[in-house]
Amino acid sequence: MLTEIQEGKALDSVVRHITQEKINLYAEASGDFNPIHVDESFAAKTPLGGTIAHGMLNLAYVSEMMTSAFGRSWLSGGKLRAKFKEPARPGDTLTIIGKISCVEKKDDISYANCNFECRNQKGETIVIGETIVKVSSDKE
Amino acid sequence: MSVKTVSYEELIPGYEFPPATYELSASLVSKYLKAVDSEGDGFVPPLAITACAIASMTGSLSLPSSAIVIHASQELEFFKLVPIGATIECRTEVAQKITRGKMSMLILELEVFNKGREKVQSGRATIALPT
Repeated sequence: MLTEIQEGKALDSVVRHITQEKINLYAEASGDFNPIHVDESFAAKTPLGGTIAHGMLNLAYVSEMMTSAFGRSWLSGGKLRAKFKEPARPGDTLTIIGKISCVEKKDDISYANCNFECRNQKGETIVIGETIVKVSSDKE
Repeated sequence: MSVKTVSYEELIPGYEFPPATYELSASLVSKYLKAVDSEGDGFVPPLAITACAIASMTGSLSLPSSAIVIHASQELEFFKLVPIGATIECRTEVAQKITRGKMSMLILELEVFNKGREKVQSGRATIALPT
């Protein structure tokens, strides 16, 4: 967990390697068997040219980074806004980075606003977004 | 038990998908954690709950077999910790349906409640369907 909540503070990054096996496992766990994720011959014939990871799998890694940094504050009071820019594919290594962009106080409660980005090994942006986490209350 | 399905053409703003109930058992959570390469922290990961909410929608949506469904954006807000073993109810509603050229976009509002009828999560998903 972060011990210091201040503007510019980087969150510990998360690195994950995407494989078709992991995508298949995620399909089973989530119940999302859309063929673009799990059917390699179907996906090869689409404009995407092959299977892609579920957007929610990529976002799970972002949540992992936020949970490591903020613990229960994230799990019970986090907000997230994400845009999926490019698909993640089997063989990709994703690196999720984030930092606190500002700390705001509203009604005696402090909130950490963070920016995050998920990039592949080529440096392409896969997911980009912002999060907000309640980090302290003067009333507590 | 068969799930009543709705076709994409039938979806209109305000359409509510049938609510779905999930028991977030230890085995289900463990399966999810393995899939996302995470050790977990004793609670249900909030994104596992979102996955249930999305599955409750896709499970009752009938699309042509050639359709590609792409997740374009996601907003989420978490309100409560959800313990492993909890039962949740997922509600999904069509907020907007937009067609632009060869692209259709569905904007869905998601809400998830615990057994005590407290909201544990809400969100908004944008799904793109190239036609």
